[in-house]
Amino acid sequence: MKQAMETHTSTSPSAAEQELDAFLGPRTVAQPTPLPQQRLGIVVGGSLSKGLDVKLDPATVIEGLAVGRYVVVHGQTGRRFFSLVTDVRLDALNPLIEKVPPDTHDAFLEEVYRGTAVFGCIQISPMLVLESGGDEPKPVKTVPAHFTAVYPASAEEVALVFGQEGEGDNFYIGDPLEMEGIHVTLDLRRFIERSAGVFGKTGTGKSFLTRTLLAGLARWGGAVNLVFDMHNEYGWMSRDEAHQEVKGLKQLFYNRVSVFTLDPVSSQRRGSKTDGVVQIGYGQIEPEDVDGLASLLALSDVQVGALYFLRRKLGADWLARLLDEDDPLSELEGALARGVLHGGTLGAIQRKLGLFRRFEFLQARTKTGDDAVSEILNSLDRGVHVVLEFGRYGDSLEAYILVANYITRRIHEHYKRRKEDALGSRADEPMPLVITIEEAHKFLDPSVSRYTIFGTIARELRKYNVTLLIVDQRPSGIDPEVMSQIGTRITCLLDDEADIRAVFAGISGAGALREVLARLDTRQQALIMGHAVPMPVVIRTRTYGTPEFYAEMGLSADKKMMLAERRRLLRGEEVEI
Amino acid sequence: MSNGDLRVGRVLRVSTRGFVIGCEVMRPEIPAFGSFVQAEGVAPGSLIYGLIYDVSIDDDLFARQFVVANPPEEVVLDQRENRQVPIEVSVLAIGCREGGHIRHNLPLQPPVTLDWLYQCDPQEVYAFTSHFGYFRLILEAREVPADELLAASLRAAAAVRPPSERRPFLVAAGRELARLLSGDPVRLEGVLSRLGVSD
Repeated sequence: MKQAMETHTSTSPSAAEQELDAFLGPRTVAQPTPLPQQRLGIVVGGSLSKGLDVKLDPATVIEGLAVGRYVVVHGQTGRRFFSLVTDVRLDALNPLIEKVPPDTHDAFLEEVYRGTAVFGCIQISPMLVLESGGDEPKPVKTVPAHFTAVYPASAEEVALVFGQEGEGDNFYIGDPLEMEGIHVTLDLRRFIERSAGVFGKTGTGKSFLTRTLLAGLARWGGAVNLVFDMHNEYGWMSRDEAHQEVKGLKQLFYNRVSVFTLDPVSSQRRGSKTDGVVQIGYGQIEPEDVDGLASLLALSDVQVGALYFLRRKLGADWLARLLDEDDPLSELEGALARGVLHGGTLGAIQRKLGLFRRFEFLQARTKTGDDAVSEILNSLDRGVHVVLEFGRYGDSLEAYILVANYITRRIHEHYKRRKEDALGSRADEPMPLVITIEEAHKFLDPSVSRYTIFGTIARELRKYNVTLLIVDQRPSGIDPEVMSQIGTRITCLLDDEADIRAVFAGISGAGALREVLARLDTRQQALIMGHAVPMPVVIRTRTYGTPEFYAEMGLSADKKMMLAERRRLLRGEEVEI
Repeated sequence: MSNGDLRVGRVLRVSTRGFVIGCEVMRPEIPAFGSFVQAEGVAPGSLIYGLIYDVSIDDDLFARQFVVANPPEEVVLDQRENRQVPIEVSVLAIGCREGGHIRHNLPLQPPVTLDWLYQCDPQEVYAFTSHFGYFRLILEAREVPADELLAASLRAAAAVRPPSERRPFLVAAGRELARLLSGDPVRLEGVLSRLGVSD
């Protein structure tokens, strides 16, 4: 009896139902139909150049809309216009209402007025259009008709525009505003084709964003990174603002990242696992390396010219000899006597270059006698990413610029040679290199960018497979000619008018995006535009440092497995990370 | 038409924009200001819809005499129920039904004299007020107290709806008014406040 009751109350099909199924065939399970999207409003005016005006429907909550959000206009001809909200405003049918507002305590009046006599408007900037039945978004060249409906962009539409994560060279960088869970991806192949920039005022998350980008590039494997790590935050562990530990690139991609340091004491103190110490001999420094420091050292044009003269007269040891107070510099006596070199100029140069004595990584003779640049180049040639920690020298802009210039000049020459070899003998091309520099406006200032290697790289673009990833808080300080060559611009909050103007230099439709940029949150929001994304997008950036992030970067969550991998690595076995 | 209980009176004078009917007596709720009424059109099957905007009772010779003579109560009642001069009810035409379709525009032809005028039943009021195209005819009529008439007619239209539909109906009507009276926000607020929706 009990069994019979159980059978009766069971949710499994009854015998009669089974018989019916056998006779009629299996029943189809009704799929839940997706809910129709709520219309936001209708297009009521505007132009392609200045954007479209959209009158919001009464049911649309204006406070739920924000600049930077994606909307889609469903055009008359079946086209869908992907657009970005660039402004939100309140409007009224009659301006008199603003002077004589209705009784705001009456909920009925409020309900009647809202959306009719007074209403919300948004301005949208159409960016891409998808033809009816097509799946490839194209640049927009027309506008949708009057009164066409505007909807929020769906996950499918965003994926259609930005590509799916894991598809091709796409890397998930963040979620569009108010669309948590929908992933915006960067096309890393395009990202490295041209120099890129991460801009934003201090404290807006530039470093975390850069760390995410570098991790993405490292996991992707289509390019190799060289990071001039001014504040020691990319190689090994560092802390976020909440003092939580976050892993560096070396911890995520152990055998694919080499950490070099200029300051082994600092690295040891921080527990950073380094692969080498960079020491530069005085004899390896050329006048061109000092040239980039002219403004910081207050070297005049005459003094810079004299450096080259001194190099010719004194030979490869020119710097060591200038810094040696006991060296009589007898080779220069004739020049001083003839007035070719002024005694005051020589004295000033010696005084100003005296700063180098404080840089312990500069040695009269390097301890090991090897060339740090060669080691770095070898690593890069093997596809191993290099992070150069500056330790305490990160506080010295002179040291940072000197070393970055020194190493980059040689790397650039190396890549140029390899590229030419590849062209001549059809040998393998060098793997694309992305050089990350911070405080870039010091290298790319209009007065020096023509002479520094970084200006050359930014201008030469991808000819030699070397591009820059510029991290800076003062883009207005960067040579406009260089800025115009920055392919992908990732911009966190900027509030200085000159900086905002600089970021948008050379971007069409920038006027509409200015409002978007000025309204970004101070944390974890960025506007991405340029070569690596099909249209500008405001994102809430992906959170670096979560277990999910580490797992996606390929880091095993299982400590035992990690230890086993490390042991095998120490034994010299190949480890797949 | 056969809705005999809802007869208001017979047509006295007509024009395209409206008509005046005469009725014998005042009954509870008939005729009432802002009520929806209908008369048969000249074309077979056609109807003309209107709103009562004025009810006037003229004096007559007997009434004048009785006023000063202090008549007994039976005479007063007799005078009221057997009037020499009819009660005049003015109606504004606000739509018509042609070929089974309700249209919110002036009828092509007015009703003919001495035709019966009927009070609309709730279903007809519901159907007629499911759109608000007739608002314009009321707002543009100079001879009627438009704001009061519109408010009274909307209260009447809300009353024929189930309680759950009344507020959404009045909100929708209010929104249409907000559009039509956008040039005069003070007047708009006046009309809305007469709808009797208070929170």
